[in-house]
Amino acid sequence: MNEAFFVQLALSAAAVGVLVAIAAWAKIAKPAGPLDDYKARGLFEYEFPGRKLDAVWVASDGAGALAKSGGLALVICQVGDGFAARQIPWAQAISASFKNGKLCVDLADIAAPRATLSLPSWPPKNLTKDLAA
Amino acid sequence: MMKAAIDPVTLATPFFILSVILEIVLARMGKADARYETKDTAVSLGMGLISSVAGLLTAGAVFAATLWVYEHRLFTIPMTAIWAWVAIFLLEDLTYYVFHRVSHERRFWWAAHVNHHSSQHYNLSTALRQTWTGGVAGTWALWLPLAFLGFPPAMIAIQKGVSLVYQYWIHTEAIKKTPRWFEAVFNTPSHHRVHHARNAIYLDRNYAGILIVWDRMFGTFQPELDAEPCRYGLVKNVATFNILRVVFHEWIGIVQDVVRNPRHALGYIFGPPGWSHDGSRETSTMIKARVGAEPAKAAAEDAREAA
Repeated sequence: MNEAFFVQLALSAAAVGVLVAIAAWAKIAKPAGPLDDYKARGLFEYEFPGRKLDAVWVASDGAGALAKSGGLALVICQVGDGFAARQIPWAQAISASFKNGKLCVDLADIAAPRATLSLPSWPPKNLTKDLAA
Repeated sequence: MMKAAIDPVTLATPFFILSVILEIVLARMGKADARYETKDTAVSLGMGLISSVAGLLTAGAVFAATLWVYEHRLFTIPMTAIWAWVAIFLLEDLTYYVFHRVSHERRFWWAAHVNHHSSQHYNLSTALRQTWTGGVAGTWALWLPLAFLGFPPAMIAIQKGVSLVYQYWIHTEAIKKTPRWFEAVFNTPSHHRVHHARNAIYLDRNYAGILIVWDRMFGTFQPELDAEPCRYGLVKNVATFNILRVVFHEWIGIVQDVVRNPRHALGYIFGPPGWSHDGSRETSTMIKARVGAEPAKAAAEDAREAA
């Protein structure tokens, strides 16, 4: 590695900074609005085809959703202007920490460490005995 | 691999920068179809920048191996002959197809390649989302037979650079379809959009570097369908912009699986991505079968579009 390499690297790093700034200025991210119940169910259907949804809770800011499907919790969380989905055991979702209106779900995945969802309460008040099982 | 007297990638770097700016500005003006998310762009470009440094860590070993093989070559192929450039263009592109297919169909090599597919966007910055661990994964060894045949290492390096530069411009949604003859022979934005899509019917398709004919020959071609808009990213998308997690998540996943299931280590290392000993996960083949997007259906779609 010679001096020219480091000069080239420094210039490339500067160029990266400029390009990211231009991307931020342009505001041309995907125009996906916040999730509502309909959109969330559509997304669950795409990510977990064929899975029956027992109940769905959509984050109040629309930045994610959580569904109960049998013994599993299906979780969708916003990543930039897109979404990522994971499934975890329902018991794990029920025991997730809830503080100041934020549910923090440990997804136990190195590529998706946790999902934070804004919910009015957790476990949800409308959780019937059947669903809670 | 190694630095040749002419490095197409270095020469093309100003073009990379200017074309990303052009794509963003045209999209902003509503003149081109392109989506950029700031953090996603930062991760893509950051990975591209650091990949050039990461490649240097194994460059010495790669150079030594290539030189050693070249010293034991079968023939001496002149760098000045036109036929030699035609031959290396075809052979290098075929080698790229093999490399790319292995990188998708076997988890050990997928671990190095997955990060190129980890963006949910498809724009020119995605092209620069390059691996940091390709040297460690050892796929460079696939190019050694070219040196054994007698192609000078510098010639191989130049052609690899040409291929990389060619593949840059096809990472865009701004260009819809090129002329039919071009779509028939060359890898194009349309073909490569399919390759980056996570829709079941598009999984593990269009591995081509420059010539799409390899996919047509080996049964891995899938045209882009109007009825099936591309959704980009991974089957299980990455839920973070932490660049280290993006780069290393699959490697860490392999280690975790092997530690938990040492008796099934070979399957978790060299099986297809998504393989599990208890069938609790899905490979691309299983996903395609589940949703009915098996190759026969893809072939039928292909024929219908061709008609």
